[in-house]
Amino acid sequence: MSEFNPTILAFCCNWCSYAGADLAGVSRLQMPPNVHVIRVMCSAAVKPEYAFKALSEGIDGVLVLGCHIGDCHYLTGNHRTKKRFPVAQRILRDVGIDERRLRLDWVSAAEGEKFQQVITEFVSDIKKIGPNPLKEVKL
Amino acid sequence: MNDLGKALAKIAFEERGADFLLAARDESGNVAPVLVSKGEDVGDVRIDVPYQLVMVLTKLYPWLEKGKVAIVTRRCDEKALNELTKRGIFDAKRIIKVGLACSKEQVAKCRCSDPVPSRVDFGEPQKAAQDELSDRLLKMTAEDRMKFWIRQFRKCNKCFGCTTNCPVCFCDHSCVLEERELVAEKSIPPGVVFHLVRSFHLADKCIECGECERSCPADIPLLTLRKMVNADMKELYKYSAGDEKAVSPLLTTLEGEKLEDDADVC
Repeated sequence: MSEFNPTILAFCCNWCSYAGADLAGVSRLQMPPNVHVIRVMCSAAVKPEYAFKALSEGIDGVLVLGCHIGDCHYLTGNHRTKKRFPVAQRILRDVGIDERRLRLDWVSAAEGEKFQQVITEFVSDIKKIGPNPLKEVKL
Repeated sequence: MNDLGKALAKIAFEERGADFLLAARDESGNVAPVLVSKGEDVGDVRIDVPYQLVMVLTKLYPWLEKGKVAIVTRRCDEKALNELTKRGIFDAKRIIKVGLACSKEQVAKCRCSDPVPSRVDFGEPQKAAQDELSDRLLKMTAEDRMKFWIRQFRKCNKCFGCTTNCPVCFCDHSCVLEERELVAEKSIPPGVVFHLVRSFHLADKCIECGECERSCPADIPLLTLRKMVNADMKELYKYSAGDEKAVSPLLTTLEGEKLEDDADVC
């Protein structure tokens, strides 16, 4: 059997995490190629609905990356994100979807290495959890 | 007018000085909402059926330009009024609550954890009940739980009954569940995403009235899902919807932040 290669979406905020991803790329840091990066203006612009939609369509993991708390370009954006996503994770758990498939983390523009580390960790976590069961389910 | 109607009219108009009264009454064997002004015959009032009067009030409120409205409220209605008042849909001064304590059978049906209104005018206060299904589900493995919910959600025929009849779903033309990017146009059943999104949107305002479950033609235990999410909210933020003191609706604002003008849109 071929090895399970997860498909992962990473929402990166324009001001920190996307620049962090850029830095990781420029620094030639090695990381798994399973991640599709989507640039958003702020981590608060990522509605939990998007994560739900992605997971219910069979994406194996959703990563939301924003600026560190206190560093938000829009002052309070990531505070909102921090408030919403735990609820989204709990809802996933209640319905029986592994809440580890949705992760919220903070990566600043200077943290290319942290970006690499977060991606590597998340991909290996998702590999351990296995493929998203909703991929097979036809509702 | 039956005795109940007389008693209700007396409390609303004479004792509490209301100008209008909103109640549910008997209409040839069925239950229907009725709004009467002072002096009018309210008819054969019924309180045995949990009719969503708050939802009716939300629709009628813009037409009532002045005067106070008395409304028959169970504990859940009371909480719904609080939630809507927080979001600026009602003016608290214009609403008079006539408290109704649910019967034992009703409490058992709703698995209600908070059945007694702050002021009881009708009915006997009953003890709270437990929701066994949510306890059972949380004891299952995640895999079994998912199987259970998939089996339930598969029955959904996207009638939007749960949304239309929900007292705290107040967005008229901009419901997120009608966004085609999230729920595809010709999708029946609509998929897990429909129920996940609805759970999230109700997380900070669901008052556990159970109307979604009652109106669901497919008998999906939606109230259990709501109760599970509400328990999570309590665990995470010590927040329970319908609380008068918690002024900022939780997921749309930060602590102590004022509501913006568009607070009445989800």
